[in-house]
Amino acid sequence: MLSKSQAKAFFLVGTALCAGSFLLLTVDTLKRIPVQTNAKNLTAQAIRGKHLFETNNCMGCHTILGEGAYYAPELTKVYERRGVAFISQMLRDPESMYPGQRKMVKYDFTDSEIDSLVVFFKWIGEMDLNGFPPKPDLMVSSGASGILEAKNRPIVFNQMCIACHSLQGQGGEVGPALDGVGSRRDPAFIRQWLLNPLAMKADSKMPKLPLTEGDIVELTAFLSQLKESQK
Amino acid sequence: MKYKSQKVAYWFFAACMLLLSLQVIYGFIMGFAHMGFDGLHSIIPFNTARATHTNLLVMWLLTGFMGAAYYIIPEEAERELVSVRLAYVQLIALLVVGVTAIIGFHFNWWEGRKFLEIPRPLDYLVVVDVLLFIYLIGATIWKGKRYTTTSMVLFFGLLMTALLYLPGMIPTDSQTMDSFWRWWVVHLWVEGVWELIMGAILSFLLIKQTGVDREVIEKWLYIIVGFTFLSGILGTGHHYYYIGTPKYWLMVGGVFSALEPLAFLAMAIYAIAMAKKGGRSPDNKTALHWTIGCSILSFVGAGFLGFAHTLPQVNMYTHGTLVTAMHGHMAFWGAYAMLVLAIISYSMPIMTGRKLQDTPMNMFAFWTSNIGMVAMTVAFGVAGIAQVYLERKLGLDFLGVQKEIEVHFFGLILAASLFTLGIIAFIWNFIRFGLPSDQR
Repeated sequence: MLSKSQAKAFFLVGTALCAGSFLLLTVDTLKRIPVQTNAKNLTAQAIRGKHLFETNNCMGCHTILGEGAYYAPELTKVYERRGVAFISQMLRDPESMYPGQRKMVKYDFTDSEIDSLVVFFKWIGEMDLNGFPPKPDLMVSSGASGILEAKNRPIVFNQMCIACHSLQGQGGEVGPALDGVGSRRDPAFIRQWLLNPLAMKADSKMPKLPLTEGDIVELTAFLSQLKESQK
Repeated sequence: MKYKSQKVAYWFFAACMLLLSLQVIYGFIMGFAHMGFDGLHSIIPFNTARATHTNLLVMWLLTGFMGAAYYIIPEEAERELVSVRLAYVQLIALLVVGVTAIIGFHFNWWEGRKFLEIPRPLDYLVVVDVLLFIYLIGATIWKGKRYTTTSMVLFFGLLMTALLYLPGMIPTDSQTMDSFWRWWVVHLWVEGVWELIMGAILSFLLIKQTGVDREVIEKWLYIIVGFTFLSGILGTGHHYYYIGTPKYWLMVGGVFSALEPLAFLAMAIYAIAMAKKGGRSPDNKTALHWTIGCSILSFVGAGFLGFAHTLPQVNMYTHGTLVTAMHGHMAFWGAYAMLVLAIISYSMPIMTGRKLQDTPMNMFAFWTSNIGMVAMTVAFGVAGIAQVYLERKLGLDFLGVQKEIEVHFFGLILAASLFTLGIIAFIWNFIRFGLPSDQR
């Protein structure tokens, strides 16, 4: 059986070998990270965004690169998922985007701070993360007509509306599902509603969204053709 | 108690009890928030509760390790501590820094870096405080009558813990680099050098409680810490899968972290085998329960449940979900919390001179807290797996999924209540022992 000095040698040699390899790999990794993370896009603005992200402990609720807490959504791909307008409005006043839902602290960021955070999220979203986050591979594919395929929807619909409303079973559960909304409401109503929900229904949970005129025209046209028969 | 200065440990352990109680309270705040009861949001938002909960954990474990070292080292080195007064200074300074940090968390003063939230100016104070601690322990060993393997492994573990705090302070502008260095601290602590501390404390407890020959126990100690570093150092790679680091970490991290359970398995087999081999009936059954329990639950929590989501193919889906919380709770409880509670249970009757160790209340504390923690782990596990399936596989919306799994947090809170009952019993026993006494 092994003697104590042999056991000691096993410990010392094993540790030295592993620590040595770890240091070599670290040196190599440090060389590769700038390429893999597009360090050239890490502008002063993005760095300021990271600083804001850190000093407000955003990681205390959210995950980013899959790291952090599990109370609020993953932010790695948030730039692609929600877009600039949504993120900016959320940072300005979280309560206005998800009224009555799980709360986020209102941080009183300035507009330039919000821009920095958005640039930071954009930089994060463009990294090569070896395939993370995974694509939901069991997602129920939207069956029927091509017009409803996710890729044919207006981008602003996929970034903003879907955060609270669902269509064909995909999306948020805060507001009512939008399937068949074109049969229930006429285009004029939809347009007015998008301009300012609170003017149409004072106790509506839906906030006045940061939409451009172009967005409203596009969304009105899209929502109006979501007829009941297509359900 | 062989040496009077050993009773410094009592105050470290008392601080542990206080910090642990606070940690549990903040845990409940988060559990309720997950269920939608977030009435405290305006005073204690989730990120504050979270940083407080995890930092209190790290703080009370470190305080416990320090107390353990002050208790163990005089006995191993066969001399009094070089300075009792400085040890008290060191404890008070640590608590002041810690409490300042915790209060700071409630006023948005922190670094938002998971587990290392303590603000930078306080980091330097932590380093100074730990250096003082290392000096006190190091000098006591140096001037002592003998160097034992147990005391050397313990000292090396504590020294490396102090040194590995430093990479976390390397300034960087990149989120990826930030994470990279952060894991040097967090991973190399809990899956590296803290295991040395754990191995050393376990071997001290086993030598004292089982009567097995020191040579035999210490030989196995080398093997175990050997396995720890063989797997743990390169196992750091399991944090480098998906954060913008090269792809080879999927292979390196996958292979080596898959070996990590071996060290914990060895630790469990070793503790059980030594306890059986000793064959003498222990005069502190409670302490032996915590010692053996620690070795077993560390294997289940850190070893087995860690392995359950360490492979890159699995981790791709579980990374950044409640599955991590499931593993984290039982790993920290089994490996480190139970270890500190074991040395406390062992040393209290000796330090206070009151033989209250084997009361029914002590057994109640042991079983209730452990069953509670197992149930909590199950609740987190079910919530985590449901989240992975709904969010990562089916692509449902985050908040929608959170509503679906609220019910599991109700289960979690029930389990946590049971756990808390056990902790209250433990603290009650701690108080009943009274203050340390010089009479044997």
